Amino acid sequence: MDKLMEILQELRPDVDFENETALITDGILDSFDIVALVGELNDEFDIEIKPNNLVPENFNSAKAMYALIEKLQDE
Amino acid sequence: MEKSVLCRLNAAAEKYSSKTAFKDPENSLTFGGFNDLTKSIGTYLAGITQPGSPVVVMSGRHVFTPACFLGAVRAGCFYAPMDGDMPVTRLNQILSVIKSDIMLVDKAHLETAQSLNFDGKLVVMEDIMSTPADEELLKSREEGIVCTSPLYVIFTSGSTGVPKGVITSHQSLMTYIDSVGKVLSIDDTDVLGNQSPLDYIAAIRDIYLPITFGAQTFIIPKNEFAVPTQLFDTLNNEKITALCWSVAGVELPAKLGAFDVSKPEYLKKLCFSGSVMPCKYLKIWQENLPDVLYVNQYGPTEATASCTYYIVNEKVDDDTVLPIGKPYDNYRVFLLNEDNTPTEQGKTGEICVTGPILALGYYGNAEYTEKSFIQNPLNNNFRELIYKTGDLGSFDSDGLLQFHGRKDRQIKHLGHRIELGEIEETAKKIEGVTDCCSLYNKPKEHLYLFYTGDATSKDIVLNFRKNMPAFMVPRKLVNLDKLPTLPNGKIDMQTLKTYFK
Repeated sequence: MDKLMEILQELRPDVDFENETALITDGILDSFDIVALVGELNDEFDIEIKPNNLVPENFNSAKAMYALIEKLQDE
Repeated sequence: MEKSVLCRLNAAAEKYSSKTAFKDPENSLTFGGFNDLTKSIGTYLAGITQPGSPVVVMSGRHVFTPACFLGAVRAGCFYAPMDGDMPVTRLNQILSVIKSDIMLVDKAHLETAQSLNFDGKLVVMEDIMSTPADEELLKSREEGIVCTSPLYVIFTSGSTGVPKGVITSHQSLMTYIDSVGKVLSIDDTDVLGNQSPLDYIAAIRDIYLPITFGAQTFIIPKNEFAVPTQLFDTLNNEKITALCWSVAGVELPAKLGAFDVSKPEYLKKLCFSGSVMPCKYLKIWQENLPDVLYVNQYGPTEATASCTYYIVNEKVDDDTVLPIGKPYDNYRVFLLNEDNTPTEQGKTGEICVTGPILALGYYGNAEYTEKSFIQNPLNNNFRELIYKTGDLGSFDSDGLLQFHGRKDRQIKHLGHRIELGEIEETAKKIEGVTDCCSLYNKPKEHLYLFYTGDATSKDIVLNFRKNMPAFMVPRKLVNLDKLPTLPNGKIDMQTLKTYFK
């Protein structure tokens, strides 16, 4: 989780990732943030985020992203 | 050609009265309804403006925004669109250049508008939408427009730190729309999917192709670009046939693997512009949609969006470099050497453009206009203005133009044009930044800022987020004790580039 928070903070230091729960739904992260983020998460956690994973529920909060990472690592 | 876009709107409203012109997820407007709305807005605005004056429009991604634009035109004015999601500092910079007496906003942007440095009259769109049309007044305003009258002013990055407002005339816009419409064979059966922000130059196709050819435009919500499968569902649900997108927008679904799940079933034409297309992404589109017409476009805002095009007939590979092709109809494109002599066939020179598509200049900036739009140095006999694009190119043996990058420090990042000098000017204003240099790592699409001083990278990013559009925020910040210099004292950019990873 620390590593994830570090990546998120570097990507968007202006966003409160501890508390935000509608990052996508509210448009806080835009499509270019998502492209950059998916690339970094794939590299850092050795996972492959598929298009079907790219739904708001998986990216609306740091917690949801972490759950997705853990799920993909188990596969 | 018609005298103004209003002639086209009048004709479309008559011919396609009950056909849909613009649609978003919540609303849709027929040509008839759209036209009536422009008349209501136009009548109200005509009552409070002088013909030929600017109207700032700050309104969201919905069908009423193009109606506000054309409403301003019906009042005999021209419009300057602003994206209300941009930081307040940026919006104030634009207002300080355009100095408009009137700002037209939708309710959602009223609060932002009230916080700006604006002394003029704020008009809320929702309040004037049912103004009864005064046909006499509108007719007299329409008669005052000639084809060289300004239609809109669109702002783009300026190296001095203040955005430049490029002024486009009715004639220029119609010339471009006719040319691109012909290449894409747009007709009244087409449905366009709008990706570009409506205040941005790329949106002119989505606004004026419908008005000219009776096509329809669906305004795609911004959020869907972050959710590629949803994006393709929308393209299918709306039966979208034509996309005029930025290269960055075309890359997105390919990068995020959207084709693994579905594909846009109705798509027939895709034209892209804004930056160089990396063919590894175009290849994914071609493999999945082999029958689509792919068109690569090139050109600056100063020459009305695009001045050359290339129809991609070949199957591309990862390392294919697409030509930017040949001039659109009614555009003249040629190359000049540094010393203003004609460039020899096959050699590289600066791309220059002329024709009825030349912008009227930069709003309120005669000095910069005169520097950029110059007398053709090859012509001593009559007045012939050209625009030197600052882009380098060469003509290959088939007469196709090849693109070779910039002469100066302008870059294309996420589909937007950015002067690195403007990034530096912005950074230098931040407390704790002594000196800085901005560079672009193109393969990774990372905007770098190297700086000296004790500001933290967080301070800098937060400051940029507050003052600049999102696409102008540096992604990678490197704090150095001293910027490396060359023997002549200039910053050594090659050494800085070794920090790219």
